[in-house]
Amino acid sequence: MTIKLRYWLAVFLLPVLSGCYPEGAEYTEDLDLVYTNYSNQFDFASRKTYSIPDSVIKITGEVFNDPDGDGKPTFLSPAYATVIVAQIKKDMAANGWTLVDKNANPDVIILTSSMTTTNIYYYYDWWYWDWWYPGWYDWGWYYPGYYYPAYVTGYRSGSVFMQMVDSKAAKNADNVPVAWSAIINGLAEGNTTDINARIQTSIDKAFAQSPYLKH
Amino acid sequence: MALIVFSSLGARAQNGGFTVSYPIGFPMGNLHDYISKTSFRGISFEFNKKVKPQVTVGLETGWNVFYENAGEQEYKDQTATVSGKQYRYTNSVPILIGAKYHPQTGNQVIAPYVGAGLGTLYSNRTTDFGLYEITNEAWQFCIRPEAGLIFKTASGVNPFVGVKYYWAFNSDDLDGQSFLSLNVGLKFSPF
Repeated sequence: MTIKLRYWLAVFLLPVLSGCYPEGAEYTEDLDLVYTNYSNQFDFASRKTYSIPDSVIKITGEVFNDPDGDGKPTFLSPAYATVIVAQIKKDMAANGWTLVDKNANPDVIILTSSMTTTNIYYYYDWWYWDWWYPGWYDWGWYYPGYYYPAYVTGYRSGSVFMQMVDSKAAKNADNVPVAWSAIINGLAEGNTTDINARIQTSIDKAFAQSPYLKH
Repeated sequence: MALIVFSSLGARAQNGGFTVSYPIGFPMGNLHDYISKTSFRGISFEFNKKVKPQVTVGLETGWNVFYENAGEQEYKDQTATVSGKQYRYTNSVPILIGAKYHPQTGNQVIAPYVGAGLGTLYSNRTTDFGLYEITNEAWQFCIRPEAGLIFKTASGVNPFVGVKYYWAFNSDDLDGQSFLSLNVGLKFSPF
């Protein structure tokens, strides 16, 4: 009886256990998200011209700082920024907007910034070695000039944030009205070519899911 | 480890009645709105005790995994739109007490039964959306009617097929996560 029971249980349990883990995301692009939002009080149809800086700001922390003292924030590497700005220009043109110089009184201005965050799955602390060399616990550790070692499993996520501001209203008000916002978010992993291709696709989606921008 | 536990239950099943079955789950209602795909992942256990010649009472638990790849979609909330791929999961664990009525007590090869159960249905709804995961869980009141056929064999290991409807009631967190299950399994009992 017991042997028979084990046999039957094995017959039942094996397919069940093997099938317990449903699939899920397989590729990096499966994790890409595109968020857009807009002001429904803003008349997009009557605005036709825009301006955009060629640089993308790199947000590096909660506190604004000016490490090199040149009065400018940190900028994202041109390897990415050029692609991001070019894609926005392409999509804006496809939606019937005209690019003008910032001094040519544009209707709106698009400001672009980016941020990456490192997420670590396993918390690896000095405390683990405190038993061997007391005192290390208090020190903490860091990795000068390079990313976390590969044995700490983790990933970097990245976001690109686009804001369309009403530049004419900005001149008359204390606060700048933001007519449209878009955030694209995903894994900042892989080579530059792959990341740029995913950024381009996501920027396209941001415009595609914002039909009110179309002229 | 699992086999040892089940084996010891099996040994006690001589005068009780232990069943193990494979449930195929069909989502209904709000669960169907969220995941429309049939679940082929799960297991169901019951332990029943004869209290009258035609009546058993018992306990039931199990595990059903519902999953659907919702693909790339746009989700809107007023002026906001988020697009991306959603992977949707619902893990359901019923914990119920129940009674079954077996109209035939003779030596028929095919013995029908009907039953009803009540208790709780634990549902864990997890949505993977981009790098984010949204989890919602609920313990819902559940009523579970059932009907089935037992194929009696001389060995005391009796195959059976049954249909169960887990009718779950709305809770604060989630609407009722009801589903229908078609169970194919084995009953280890003299009944």
